[in-house]
Amino acid sequence: MPEILLDMKNIMFAYNNGGQALSGVDFSIATGEFAAIVGRNGSGKTTLTRMAMSLIKPASGAIIFQGQDTANLTPADMARSIGYVFQNPDRQIFRDTVAKEVAYGPEQLGFSPEEINQSVAWALRVTGLTELAGSFPRLLSRGQKQKVAIASAIAMRPQMLILDEPTSGQDPWDALTLMELLTGLNQQGITILLVTHDMELIAKYVARVTVLDKGSKVFDGKPSELFDGNHDINAWGLLPPTAVALARQLSGISAENAEELIKQVALAINRGKEDYA
Amino acid sequence: MPKLAPLTKLILTAAVSVWALCIPTVSGMFMLTGAQILLLLLYRPSGKQIKAVGGLLIFAGLLTGIQYVFGSSLVFSAMSGLKMFAMSQVFVFLLATTRLQDLTAALVSQCRIPYEYAFMFTSALRFVPDFLEESKAVREAQACRGYVFRGNPLKRLMDYVAIVEPLVLRAISRSETMAMSLELRGFGRRGRRQFTSDVAISGCDYVAMLFMLGLTIALAALRMSA
Repeated sequence: MPEILLDMKNIMFAYNNGGQALSGVDFSIATGEFAAIVGRNGSGKTTLTRMAMSLIKPASGAIIFQGQDTANLTPADMARSIGYVFQNPDRQIFRDTVAKEVAYGPEQLGFSPEEINQSVAWALRVTGLTELAGSFPRLLSRGQKQKVAIASAIAMRPQMLILDEPTSGQDPWDALTLMELLTGLNQQGITILLVTHDMELIAKYVARVTVLDKGSKVFDGKPSELFDGNHDINAWGLLPPTAVALARQLSGISAENAEELIKQVALAINRGKEDYA
Repeated sequence: MPKLAPLTKLILTAAVSVWALCIPTVSGMFMLTGAQILLLLLYRPSGKQIKAVGGLLIFAGLLTGIQYVFGSSLVFSAMSGLKMFAMSQVFVFLLATTRLQDLTAALVSQCRIPYEYAFMFTSALRFVPDFLEESKAVREAQACRGYVFRGNPLKRLMDYVAIVEPLVLRAISRSETMAMSLELRGFGRRGRRQFTSDVAISGCDYVAMLFMLGLTIALAALRMSA
């Protein structure tokens, strides 16, 4: 049984305007897991991950990282253990080359020059950016900038990586490449926690998914259990992956010949489209 | 609280500055600033707006203290702080109680300011909270990479590049996007514009304007006779 890396207990949080963002959420992630938090906009998923990073503090509840209470830790303290990749990489990029940009975190954490060089070289290699080490990061594509942000995070040698909507605004190929990269990092032992709306990615890559709805945890389990038809995921603002939706539409179809089968399938798909819409 | 038109609030903004310059006594300035705070409270300000006023008060206190430390009299120092507070706080009131599109409509249709200039003014005002929000996001992004604002002033200044550069570049990028988006929606078009904002002046506004005019004349007379 892998040890619990991050344990968030009975987390409560309310916004200044009185709106309840999280009401008694328990969430934990074990070392080496590849998990995701999903939910509709405003369900509290980003709030929860920002708390893990100490960017905001809970009104009540405890956040334990590797057995240590993080109540008195700052985001800069947490950066040694957790790499946080924001949705928009433009908010952090400021140096004139990719390599220097990636080196910023290790420099801030006080790595030795040798450690910095090693970490940067490793992070660039793992993210496939070695050839772009001397490039001006602001001129890179959105997908490449996101990789720079990930390289910047992993160069600090964290045990865990949290990514907030990492594939938003990316083309399908970039999104796929990014997920393959994260899978590779997970295989190297880095615990991954995604915040996403993309059910296709959840179904394909993630081992465990937690659903938040209106500030409460409503599901925690395997993606296959989430999409098995026993949960009203539409009520939580989620849609099943295309393959799951199609399989549901096709179930129960029977035909006496190929022509009839094609007709039935076409009808089922159209019915599915209407349901989807 | 009667709803005042944006034009009345614009005139009040200018009038308060004139009054602050004309009032010769500390007690008079206290009355003016007290009345301003009372007026803002009547409009039920948000926590952010109260914080803004609090920030101005602290700044006014600092200004007073610095003037006094560097040799000015206590009365002169207090007057400087109070004048600064009065002139700044009225802007907080204006922005807290007026929608920017109403302000633009009032500037164009009632003050006859060219639309481009009015829009530029209100956009600049809108840019302040946007900029602060973006600044917070950039700070958080860099904090997650180990950024800490500490050390000697020179080190802090050097470290601040990590915040300022993305912030400036984002601001430029946003302004470009905004400019394009405006042009695509007919910003530079010549001809008459239609505003949906209701900026009509009511009886309350006329009463308020008469009061402001009377007070301005009285204070100016007092100032000249002194």
